[in-house]
Amino acid sequence: MIFIALRQLWARKRQTILTLLGVMLGAAAYIAISGILLGFREYLLDQMVNNDSHVRISAKARLVEETSFEHVFAKKNETLFWLVPPSGRKDSQKIDNVQEWYQRLREDNDVEAFAPQLNVTVLYRKGKVTQNGRVMGIVPAMQTRVAMIEKNVLKGTLRELAENGQKIMLGEGLRENLGLRYGDSITVINSRGDKQQFKVSGSFSSGNRQIDESLAYVSLTTAQSIAGSPGQVSDIAVRLSDVRKSYPKAQQWSNDESAKVQSWEQINASILDVFQVQDMTRYMMSAIILIVAGFGIYNILSIVISQKKREIAILRSIGYESTDILTIFMTQGMLLGFAGGVLGVLLGYVLCWQLSHVTFSSPMTKTKATTMMISFNYLIYIYGFLMALISTTIASFLPALKAGKLSPIDIIRGQE
Amino acid sequence: MSIRLENVIKSFGEPPTQIIKNVSFELGDGEFVALTGRSGSGKSTLLYMISSLDNPTSGKVLLQGQNIAEMPQQELHAFRNTQMGFIFQYHYLLPEFTALENVLMPAIKAGTAQQKRAEATELLKRFDLGQRMHHLPSQLSGGESQRVAIARALIMNPKFIFADEPTGSLDTVNAMNVMQIFQQVNRETGCTIVYVTHDTDFAALAQKQILLVDGEVSAITMKKGAKIKAAPLKKKRLT
Repeated sequence: MIFIALRQLWARKRQTILTLLGVMLGAAAYIAISGILLGFREYLLDQMVNNDSHVRISAKARLVEETSFEHVFAKKNETLFWLVPPSGRKDSQKIDNVQEWYQRLREDNDVEAFAPQLNVTVLYRKGKVTQNGRVMGIVPAMQTRVAMIEKNVLKGTLRELAENGQKIMLGEGLRENLGLRYGDSITVINSRGDKQQFKVSGSFSSGNRQIDESLAYVSLTTAQSIAGSPGQVSDIAVRLSDVRKSYPKAQQWSNDESAKVQSWEQINASILDVFQVQDMTRYMMSAIILIVAGFGIYNILSIVISQKKREIAILRSIGYESTDILTIFMTQGMLLGFAGGVLGVLLGYVLCWQLSHVTFSSPMTKTKATTMMISFNYLIYIYGFLMALISTTIASFLPALKAGKLSPIDIIRGQE
Repeated sequence: MSIRLENVIKSFGEPPTQIIKNVSFELGDGEFVALTGRSGSGKSTLLYMISSLDNPTSGKVLLQGQNIAEMPQQELHAFRNTQMGFIFQYHYLLPEFTALENVLMPAIKAGTAQQKRAEATELLKRFDLGQRMHHLPSQLSGGESQRVAIARALIMNPKFIFADEPTGSLDTVNAMNVMQIFQQVNRETGCTIVYVTHDTDFAALAQKQILLVDGEVSAITMKKGAKIKAAPLKKKRLT
């Protein structure tokens, strides 16, 4: 039957090539779109997971309620009645029992590394130019074990920050906005108006313009000195040995009321939601492309079958069963799907490879020239191929089934 | 008996109109039979029922003692493939395949294409198509195509050959050629040949002529002998 199917495909070359092109372009489009979207996603996920922590423990904001002051204004056995109950929010810049957290994290086998941080909102001033932002106090040796921020450093080293001499590493955007050169000095002013002079020891570029134009790294003790509260820690960044445990671990640690614990998924929930929408769009687009390709095969096979009724009748009359006729036409559809899928995978790979070598830079983000992030995940190619094969199989099954059901006598009589 | 029809009726439409009306006859092994009659007399319909392509509304068609309507589908297909050859008014060759490949179509189904290849070549040579066997149907004349169709019908050495107006689309020379091939095949292989024709000259070539009038067997004529009026099987045995 395959011999007959192949010969018939070969005999109508133009139709075969056009159908093949349809399937091939469908599969290639799916692969290219998926490569772009998933490449972008992998990049963002890498940023989320590796540029920051897997789990972040931070100072908790508490709501002030009637019960908040029970042990402050009344003894344990006394009841407090308010004429006007207290309300509001008690913000805290620090984690209360930070040493307990350190102990807990050291003892946890799932924790690969952790790093204390202190975020302080400040004003940067250079001459007459002032810009608001925040400094992040870090312990460089610990921070680099938690997040891969060293690869973002453009000039200088993070280790320098731990040395004496009021050193600061600025985001590249911030450095440019303030017109600073390496080695220049900058004034940092805290919320109480206290000023401190720093020397620009280096700069970094995270790829996120908002961060690069507002953030600077200093050592943790320096940040505590800017905040005016020695020993204060606002966040603990935690890296786990298995990133997939981030959410359950965050849930487990959330039982502790003293701090807010969030996994990277919770922190970036809105972005992850966008991924879901992106996925839907990708699948919808792919489905539409492949339905179009499938319809191409459906139409062509239907036309071919209606043109070949007499030949089907003669085959049936010389002993070919309905399943043989079904096999002949199914084979044609599946061969087109298989060949179109293979060619689509190759074309998709070439497209992705080309796209991954296109360099571009955005004047809006002022980021350095870079190449497009393309995913070459093998699953994209397997799905692309399978979608081509399955859609064409389904599309060819219906006309082939109809052909198999044709009665030779009805065809001969001209009733079909 | 090779072929036996018992009270065969075929109706079409709503309300049912009888096209074949209570036909009964028997054909012996190796007979060369012409089904004749005017257009619309039901001769093609009767041929399709005898050849298993169509089922009677009532009555029985027995081929070598087997009721073909009761035969399992797979067995029927195998029977058609190995025991029957069909020839139609138009050749219905598969246009993508050469003359030789078309001849081998039944053998491809039976899985014996390789073994039958030499035989197919011989058949084509015998039908004066030795130089044309690798040509596509579009490169053959009407007469050549019909001869390829006959070779296709013969390739499995069938016991029965059924032909529906096999000369209908041919000129006189080619038509006569086809009829001579039929006679020769019948003589040499001893297979039963039943063909439909409205041409009295070609009908006269048969050993037995069955004349249909309005769906009924009007007369069965033996070539050398007297005309025998058709009658129900039980009343009179016909040979």
